[in-house]
Amino acid sequence: MDDQGCPRCKTTKYRNPSLKLMVNVCGHTLCENCVEMLFVRGSGNCVQCDTPLRKSNFRVQLFEDPTVDKEVEIRKKVLKIYNKRDFDFSSLREYNDYLEQVEDIGRGTDWGRPPETEVYNLTNNLDVENTKLKMEQYQREHRDLIQKNKATLTREQEELEELLLLEQQGNEQRRLDVLQDEQRQLQAKRKNKQALLDELEQSQLPATILLAQHKVRAAQLETQIEQQKQTVKPTNLFSTGIHMRQTVSLVAVPKVEDVLFHYKPLHVETYGPPVPELEQLSRVGYLNHVRAAMPQDTAGGYTSALACHRAIQDAFSGLFPLKG
Amino acid sequence: MFHNSSQRKYWIFKSEDEVAHMRRKANQKFRNKIQESGKSAVSDSMFLERHEEDVLFRHYERRLLDFCNAFKPAMPKSVVGTALMYFRRFYLNNSVMEHHPRTIMLTCAYLSCKVDEFNVSSTQFGGNLLHETPAGQERVLEQILEYELLLIQQLNFHLVVHNPYRPMEGLLIDLKTRYPTLENPESLRKSADDFLTQAAMTDAGLLFPPSQIALAAILNSALRASLSMESYLTECLGLKEDKDSISKMYDSMRRMKTLLKKYELPKADEVNIYKPRLERIHAQFASSSNKRKRGYEDDSHVAKEPRLVEEEWTDEDLM
Repeated sequence: MDDQGCPRCKTTKYRNPSLKLMVNVCGHTLCENCVEMLFVRGSGNCVQCDTPLRKSNFRVQLFEDPTVDKEVEIRKKVLKIYNKRDFDFSSLREYNDYLEQVEDIGRGTDWGRPPETEVYNLTNNLDVENTKLKMEQYQREHRDLIQKNKATLTREQEELEELLLLEQQGNEQRRLDVLQDEQRQLQAKRKNKQALLDELEQSQLPATILLAQHKVRAAQLETQIEQQKQTVKPTNLFSTGIHMRQTVSLVAVPKVEDVLFHYKPLHVETYGPPVPELEQLSRVGYLNHVRAAMPQDTAGGYTSALACHRAIQDAFSGLFPLKG
Repeated sequence: MFHNSSQRKYWIFKSEDEVAHMRRKANQKFRNKIQESGKSAVSDSMFLERHEEDVLFRHYERRLLDFCNAFKPAMPKSVVGTALMYFRRFYLNNSVMEHHPRTIMLTCAYLSCKVDEFNVSSTQFGGNLLHETPAGQERVLEQILEYELLLIQQLNFHLVVHNPYRPMEGLLIDLKTRYPTLENPESLRKSADDFLTQAAMTDAGLLFPPSQIALAAILNSALRASLSMESYLTECLGLKEDKDSISKMYDSMRRMKTLLKKYELPKADEVNIYKPRLERIHAQFASSSNKRKRGYEDDSHVAKEPRLVEEEWTDEDLM
């Protein structure tokens, strides 16, 4: 499953595919066991890059490439601060510029120099100090804006969650209903059987009649169940979310009148006498003068008429001189 | 089919004069090219005149025909016809002095084998070059491969050639079916075949559609056997009303016959005079493209050597 191994214990990952890899802020991976091992000893340094680490900084790796995980972390942090939305800007261009700025530090839209992205910088530990300073400055300046944006974000998230909850509840409800239905049906069947047995015991009528009655009742029960299954619960919502009672305005579709299409068969100018059709060849007698097809030739669909037709076509094509 | 082929659109010309004019232009173009490039010691007498070029052209054409006839495995007639047509078309727009006919003719044969789906591997093709050592055959094959793209280009990528052999078969079938007046059309076949082979050595392929050439062949052989066939044209081909067309068709046939009559085998002594001059021209004005072709194989070889290497195999080696 995973082609990379834990850099410390190396073998354990291959032998134990269920073992999870943890990533930390420096972007290097360690399997769970090694994480434990590392912090048991009290020292908290990464094996490969020797940066001081805290145990809480380790998160379960979601992506195959640990650098991606690291970048995702940093992006989350940065976007918590730089969280302006598209309606905060008056034009698309401004919004794009802002986005670039988030990726592009300081130099803005200066295309001449290679872009140093904020996230890029942090991910690659370039200029970390400068970037952190810049971020703090921005945070101070736009404190209120950040708060407001956070609020809208949370509100949106809440709405989404509400919808999800509703859906889940709907599903649950349906499931319960179905279960209940099935229960009821089972009970009805059991009651029916029980009733039959009782009647057989107590009633005076001969057994055959009783059995026939029972069968009739069972059939009735079946049809009842079928009908129940088929009754659609009335809803008032289409799947797209439009209410059923809502009237939708129908704009009249403009009528397009056009000339009726007439088929004209293709006419190919061969500059020669007309060639008989393939099917007519044998009738007119051409095929008598052509070598007959051998049995092995006919397997592929070859007939002597084909060769004959081709020869005649070639003979007549271009035979007449051009007019004028 | 022929009626919507590139042959009818681009490679059928109105008259022998037009064809002669094109050849003159090619000759002139080469002369101008050499004079413009300013190579030293250029005198007008060094260049070949049109009729001299013609002699050489016919000579090499005959050699191509002999090569194709001696080919093993036996080359179908259509392949031979296509090769001859390529050769003819190539030298319509190019001068013999610019590209030596001996390589071009082999390239024509090679290309026509491919186009006509007569599968011959290059080793097999090389094996047909008798009088050559295997190493020599390799060298010739290399040259053929180098010239192949040039040939295709000069043919303007119109590679499908309609030969008169199948139309002739078709006409014979039609005669047998619809023209009982003529008792034995098979008797016409042999002499019609000869007519067609001779016509392939003339410009007939560039002036007339192949079906007309085939018809001319058949009518000619009927005439030779003193069998009358006029009613075939009027009755069966439906030209009863169309006197104009009939007269035009007879006219074309007469022109074809003249072409065949005019053809003369190249005389050996003339050839022997013109060939060394051709060789000299090639030796002196070997175009830079040759050097480039050789050049990429081995850089150190770019210089005088390529020209000499080309001369190593001569015409005699082929036959």
